[in-house]
Amino acid sequence: MLEILRNMFRRKTRTILTISGITIGIFAFVVMGSMAEKINVLVSGGTKYYKDKVIVSDKSGGTFMTSPLSINKAKDIEKVIGVQAVQADVTVLLDNADSMSFGIPPMIIGSDGKGEPYESFKIDMAKGEKVTPTDNGKVMIGSDLVKKLNAEVGKKIKIKGKEFEVKGIMAKTLTAPDNEVYTTLRDTQEIYHDTLPIVIQSQVKPEVLVTDFTVYAKKGVDPDALATKIDKEVTNVKSQGPKSFQDQIASATGILNSILFGIAAISLLVGGLSIINTMTMSIAERTKEIGIKKAVGAKTRNIMTEYLTEAGLIGLFGGVIGWILGALVVFFINRAMEASGNTIFLLSTRLSVFAIVFSVILGIVAGIYPAYHAVRINIVKALREE
Amino acid sequence: MTETVLKLRNISKTYIVGTRRNALKAQKAIQKLHKNYEDACEKEDKDCIRRNEKILDKAQDLFSKEKYEESYKVIAGKSIKPRPKDRGAVVHALDNVTLEIKKGDLIAVVGPSGSGKSTLLNMLGLLDEPTAGQIFLNNKNVTGIKKKRLPTIRSNDLGFVFQSFNLVPSLTALENTMLPLKYAGISMAKRKKMAKEALTLVGLGDRLNHSPNELSGGQSQRVAIARSIVSEPAIVFGDELTGELDTKMTHEVMELIGKLNNKGQTFIIVTHNPEVAKVCKQIIYMKDGKIEKEERNKEKR
Repeated sequence: MLEILRNMFRRKTRTILTISGITIGIFAFVVMGSMAEKINVLVSGGTKYYKDKVIVSDKSGGTFMTSPLSINKAKDIEKVIGVQAVQADVTVLLDNADSMSFGIPPMIIGSDGKGEPYESFKIDMAKGEKVTPTDNGKVMIGSDLVKKLNAEVGKKIKIKGKEFEVKGIMAKTLTAPDNEVYTTLRDTQEIYHDTLPIVIQSQVKPEVLVTDFTVYAKKGVDPDALATKIDKEVTNVKSQGPKSFQDQIASATGILNSILFGIAAISLLVGGLSIINTMTMSIAERTKEIGIKKAVGAKTRNIMTEYLTEAGLIGLFGGVIGWILGALVVFFINRAMEASGNTIFLLSTRLSVFAIVFSVILGIVAGIYPAYHAVRINIVKALREE
Repeated sequence: MTETVLKLRNISKTYIVGTRRNALKAQKAIQKLHKNYEDACEKEDKDCIRRNEKILDKAQDLFSKEKYEESYKVIAGKSIKPRPKDRGAVVHALDNVTLEIKKGDLIAVVGPSGSGKSTLLNMLGLLDEPTAGQIFLNNKNVTGIKKKRLPTIRSNDLGFVFQSFNLVPSLTALENTMLPLKYAGISMAKRKKMAKEALTLVGLGDRLNHSPNELSGGQSQRVAIARSIVSEPAIVFGDELTGELDTKMTHEVMELIGKLNNKGQTFIIVTHNPEVAKVCKQIIYMKDGKIEKEERNKEKR
C-alpha cells in the first residue's frame, strides 16, 4: 500500500494535476447535484402535499399567480359529489412580485382551517405553537424565513407594513412551508385587499376575498377525476389535481436536472480520460519495473491490483478533495442566502456517498485499460529496455 | 549421483526478423513444421523427415532472398499474402540445444554476441517459449505450460540476476529482496525475516532500508543476488551480471557467488568476462545457436 502511494507521487506534478482534474469533476458534481437535490426534495414535498387534494382557483389565474375569487364559491364546490371539505385560502407573495427567486418564492398564507382534519401533510413546530384560525394578529413562520424576518417567538415583526406577533416557528420540511408565513384568513384577506388595484379595492370587501380553495376529496375518490368534475359543475374556476401539479413541475425540473447532471458528467468524463492518460504514461515509464516484478513471480492479479489501486486512489483523492470544496461552497452560499430566505443547495448524504464512491469507481474503471497493458508486458523485452 | 535440476532437450528457437504483419503467422507455421518433424523423428518416418527438412531448408534459403514470396507460401500456406515490406529473415537463435544442469552446478555460458546465450538463458528461465524441444524442471516437463502457472514457478524455483541490477527504484533493499516472497504469498513477518537473512548473507545486513540509488553498483548487484536466492530457488540465472561492474566489484560479486554455490545453490551465468568464467565449475561455449563445446574447469573440481 505504502509502495503504491510512493509510486503515485514519484511524479508529483502529474499526479496532482490528474487529481485536480477529478477534483474539479467531483466539485461540479457536488455543487450541481446539491442544487438538483434541493429541487428534487422540494418537488417531492410538493407532490406529497398535493397528492390527495384539488386546488381550485380563478379561471384566469395560474399556479402561483392569483386573481381573486369570492368566498361564496365554497358553497358551490361543496355541492360537488366526492368533496369532503373545502378550505378557503389566501396566498400573497411576501416580497414584491418583481424580486428574483429560486424555486418557490416566499409567501404569506392564510386559511380558514376547514381542511385541517383531513390534511395528511403534517407540519411540526420547532418553537412556539401553531396559529389557529382565530389567532388574528399572530403568525407562524417557516424555518428558512426566520433570519430574513428576524423572528423570535413572542416578538413582534412587521409584514407588509402590518405588525404581527410571532406565535410559532415551524420545523424544517425541506419543501414549500419552509418559505411560508402562516396567519389567519382574515389577516391575509386584509393584506391581499391592500395589494389590489385601488379601483377594485373600493368595490370588494376584504372578507369575501379568496385566492384559491383547497378541496379535500372523500376517501376513495380520485382527486384528478374530482378536479374535472368541479370544473364541469362550478362556473369560472380552474381545478388542478395532483397530476396536473406533477406535470407542471416534472417538465421544469427534468430539464434542469439533466442540464446540471450533464455538466457534471462531462467534467467527470474529462477527469476519467486524464486518469487513463496518467496511468498509461506511468506504466510506460515503469515497463522495466513491471518486467522485473513479473520475472520474480508477480502474477497477473498482483500487477493488476497494484495499478487499479493506484488509479482508484487518484479517484478517491480527487473525490474527497472535490467533495470538501463542493461542501464548502454549498455551505457558504447557503449561509449567505439564508438571510433572503432562499437557500439553493441541499447536500444530501446520498449525494455525498455517491460522489465519493463514484470517483473511486471512475478511477478504477479508467485504470483498467492501462493496467491491462501493464499485465501484457513481455518480460524479455521489458528487461532489455533502458 | 546428483539430481538434475533443469534439462533442455533438442531446444530450438526460430525468430522471423524484419517481418511485420505476417511474422506471427509464419512463426506459428514454422513451429508446426518443427513439431511434425519431431513427431516424424519419433516414428522414424524417413519420408516425412526428409520432406520436412527439405521445406525448412528451402524456407531458410529463400526467406531473405528475392523469392521470399514463394518461401512465404511454403512456410505458411496459401492463406498468407506476402507484401514487399513483410520481407524478413529466419534466424535460428537456438538450434537443437541439449543441456543438463545438476544441483550444485556453477556454469558459465560464453560466446560471441548473437550466439544465442541470452536466448538460451530465457529458455531455461521460462521467460520465452522455444519453437521446438522440451524443457524439464525438477524432472517435470514444463514446455508449453499454462502461462497462469509460470509466476508461481518463477517465484518459487527460479531466481534472476540481471546486468543492470533491475531493482525496483521505489523500494528499499529489504523490500526489493522481499518481492519474490510477496508474490509467493508468504506472510509479512516471515518474508521480512527471510529477506534480512538473505541480505546478511550477501553482506548487506546494514543497508536494509537504503533505496537503490543510495547503493553502489556492487551493492545493488548484491541486493539483486539476495533477491534471487531469497526463496531458495532450484536455480539462479545470471545475465551478464558483472557487465556493469569494475574489476574489484566483479571479483567481490563472483566471490559471493562462489560462496553461495558452496552452500549448494545452483547458478548458470551468461558472461563475456573470462575472469567470471574462470570462477565457474563448468564453461559452455556457444556459437551460432549451438553448443560448441563444454568444458569442466579442472581447478575448481
